Amino acid sequence: MVLETVELLNFRLHRNTKIKFSEKLNYIIGGNGQGKTTILEAIYYLCTSKSLNGSADSEAVNFSEDIFNISGVFRDVVKNEVRVFFSNDTARKEIYVDDKQIYRASALIGKFPFVKLTQSDSSITYGSPSERRRFVDSVISQSNFTYLGFLLEYNKILKQRSALLQRLLEERSSSLYRELDAWTENLVLAGTEIIKHRISFFKEFISYFTPAYGRIIENSELPSIRYDFLGETDPDKIFERFTSAIKESRTDELRRAANLVGPHRDDAVFFINDRDLRKFGSQGQHKSFQIALRFAEFFYLKDKIGKSPVFLMDDIFGDLDAYRAQRISGFMQEIGQGFITLTDFPNFSHLVHNHADLIINVDNGSVNYAA
Amino acid sequence: MELLEPLQKAIEEISKLPSIGKKTAQRLAIFILKSEPEQVENLLSALKDLKTKVKFCEVCFNLSVENKCTICRSQKRDITKICVVEEPSDIFALERTNEYNGLYHVLGGVLSPLSGRGAESLRIRELTERISMGDVKEIILAMNPTTEGEATILYLAKYLRSSNIKISRIARGLPVGGNIEFADQATIGRALLGRSELE
Repeated sequence: MVLETVELLNFRLHRNTKIKFSEKLNYIIGGNGQGKTTILEAIYYLCTSKSLNGSADSEAVNFSEDIFNISGVFRDVVKNEVRVFFSNDTARKEIYVDDKQIYRASALIGKFPFVKLTQSDSSITYGSPSERRRFVDSVISQSNFTYLGFLLEYNKILKQRSALLQRLLEERSSSLYRELDAWTENLVLAGTEIIKHRISFFKEFISYFTPAYGRIIENSELPSIRYDFLGETDPDKIFERFTSAIKESRTDELRRAANLVGPHRDDAVFFINDRDLRKFGSQGQHKSFQIALRFAEFFYLKDKIGKSPVFLMDDIFGDLDAYRAQRISGFMQEIGQGFITLTDFPNFSHLVHNHADLIINVDNGSVNYAA
Repeated sequence: MELLEPLQKAIEEISKLPSIGKKTAQRLAIFILKSEPEQVENLLSALKDLKTKVKFCEVCFNLSVENKCTICRSQKRDITKICVVEEPSDIFALERTNEYNGLYHVLGGVLSPLSGRGAESLRIRELTERISMGDVKEIILAMNPTTEGEATILYLAKYLRSSNIKISRIARGLPVGGNIEFADQATIGRALLGRSELE
């Protein structure tokens, strides 16, 4: 899949910006605060209808205006025009694909696949387990709609069950305990499906991840990812394991009135040469790991969806040495279309180029193409 | 311009109805205003009758004009089966199929701790009383395929298991006559996971 053009109207600094992209790499270059990342964000809006960092839509409207409009043309087997419109007056966002309105944002998921590599990716390897779950969930959800359904359902059950546990703090009746049993069973059923999907995901994902890591840093380091549910990795035994674990923590759950067992508390542990990355990894290893995760995601999604995702890379080359910048940009040449923001031009000379690459200079919300 | 008070009032009341917005309410109010007095009278008495004459069946809590609904009074019904549903409107849907000849039981909702609805707010005691009369051999749970419907099914299955009767649930999956290619992915995924072996 290729994003051919994008048009930004009153979107942050960009009052009226039209860009025709290259099918290969698009380097978006400019100083701080000139509107580079805004172009990536616009692409992200087209793929997800959401902002990059979770900020409100109203904040993305240009200061002196009331609406923003982003449109873009994706080309795969056919062309699709996607448009996201937001008005401050109604505080409503409208999404159109080929002039047909889409009413649920989730209907867009997986339609225009994307991979994004940003500075905030550091939280995947440095941060809490929830950051890793977010990564895993977003990759699987993009390629598997059933998983997304289970995830939404599981979260609903969590909320219902926690409300019930709260109530059990105040009032303990046999009827309420029976209700708890029903919600527990519901939780285990939906949760088991999530865990099974995650197990089979990691089994496959590692075959994408190991070679990607090897491409970024050439040495004998062997990365691995360990995921299990309370020590269990056999999909057929998850239900049993989950059931017994939740039984064991019943007293605790009742006392703390919280959901204490389940895939919402899972973690995936990253290793390099069998040493826990989070505890022993150097900064460089962390960075390489984060980048390899995104490349692996790219090739995984490409195989699963059968479409090549658009690759968004925000300000990654700033803190990489010349050696790694070169290897990564060489790797980028293989992915098809990519969008890369760069703050300073000097770094640019380290990167691997292709004659079809496009350089887009961004200056205070307007763009021009470099020769 | 400010609207006339009676018109304003009518619009306000009509727009309280579900799925009716301000504009539709206004159109309906104007329509009623233009109608013949007799027609308006008919509408009024229909609404009044609806509220005063229709009550809940004392056995199954279906809508009924008598104390017992037509289904519970019927001699032709299979009294060994009870199909448990959330709302009376579900009975209409099931009846239209002509596929089921047993009795019904309206729970009056589903479990939802978040909205403060627990088992005590559902007509479960009434259901067990009916079972204890001894004629019932099968309970069919026909809740909507929602998170809350699922929890309610699990609750009832556990609760009724001791009563030594067959407990079943309606199947989930693809709509009949539909195409797999047109079904949404969540439904197809679930249908695959819930596949059944051919005998």
